[in-house]
Amino acid sequence: MRDKRRTHGRSAIVALLFGSASLLTACSGIKTYDNSPSKNLYVRTATDSGAWLSRVRTAVDIHRVSAKCATEYEGTVQLNEPTIEIGLPPDRWSRLVFVFATSSFFANRSGTVTYETLLKPRPHYRYDVAVSYRGDMYHVAIREVPPNRSTGRELDRIPLSACGAPSVSK
Amino acid sequence: MKRFNIVTIVLCSLWLAGCISHPQTAEEFRKAVPAAFSAKVETFEVDRPFSQVANTFQKMGPNCLAKTIKMTSQTNTSYQVIVTTYKPTVLVSAKKAELHVQFHHDQGVVKVSKEPVGGYYLLVADASPVTQTKTRIDLYRPSMGHGVLIQAVKNWATGENVGCPDLTK
Repeated sequence: MRDKRRTHGRSAIVALLFGSASLLTACSGIKTYDNSPSKNLYVRTATDSGAWLSRVRTAVDIHRVSAKCATEYEGTVQLNEPTIEIGLPPDRWSRLVFVFATSSFFANRSGTVTYETLLKPRPHYRYDVAVSYRGDMYHVAIREVPPNRSTGRELDRIPLSACGAPSVSK
Repeated sequence: MKRFNIVTIVLCSLWLAGCISHPQTAEEFRKAVPAAFSAKVETFEVDRPFSQVANTFQKMGPNCLAKTIKMTSQTNTSYQVIVTTYKPTVLVSAKKAELHVQFHHDQGVVKVSKEPVGGYYLLVADASPVTQTKTRIDLYRPSMGHGVLIQAVKNWATGENVGCPDLTK
């Protein structure tokens, strides 16, 4: 009888922990980006926090941009592998927000910096993205490569404030 | 006694306001830096044409510095959140390229003196042509802290290891 009650109690604790974890994940607002099967964005990431017991986490938040320049968060891709492939819908503006989150165990400090740009992938084009964080400096470069070519051109950053301008509305 | 306290507080406030008044323009900042305790002027030349330095300032300044940064620090007895907005301004003419960096604390820091429009001046970098392949840089910058920002601006001038500074550092 006592064993049965103890088992019951453990199950309740496990269920409570599971429920709390699910609730916290849902409340954090972060969702995994629903990657399209045809990949067109190849992200190479290299990070080095530069200090012992400190770390840097890198991710990219992807937002859909409407014709009226309103944004809608679609999800996040953690850049925790040297190379990550992402499928962005072609012929539609997306807002990419690269997030560099640093934290230091001893200093008890944390901070986040972001680098954002708009991108409208052309059909069948490839986009090579180099993301780096070294020596407290970060860099994001996006290169557009036409089909059947190995080299392309580096794209300028387009801030959200430029959305709708004649030069970027093509 | 009460009147004495009030007079003391008012006098102290006036003295403090006078002592820690901040430059209100980039030109005032340039003039104030040489005599300032926590700032210095650094002058150097780079082996790069002036037009390239100006282009890098124009590209990297807004891309890297027009940002709002949130930092948290925590100890056993305190938890502090500081939110800072940085404002870069790049002015380019035929003979000079200027990069001004201002900052404004949105949260976590008390203002002690009049703040210029756009925020307190943090750094001013002036680039001017020396020859067709050399450019002179006059950097009016803090002498303590902000090492990452200073290094980034120097890199933009030299064209080596061009990247954005992590302003949380």
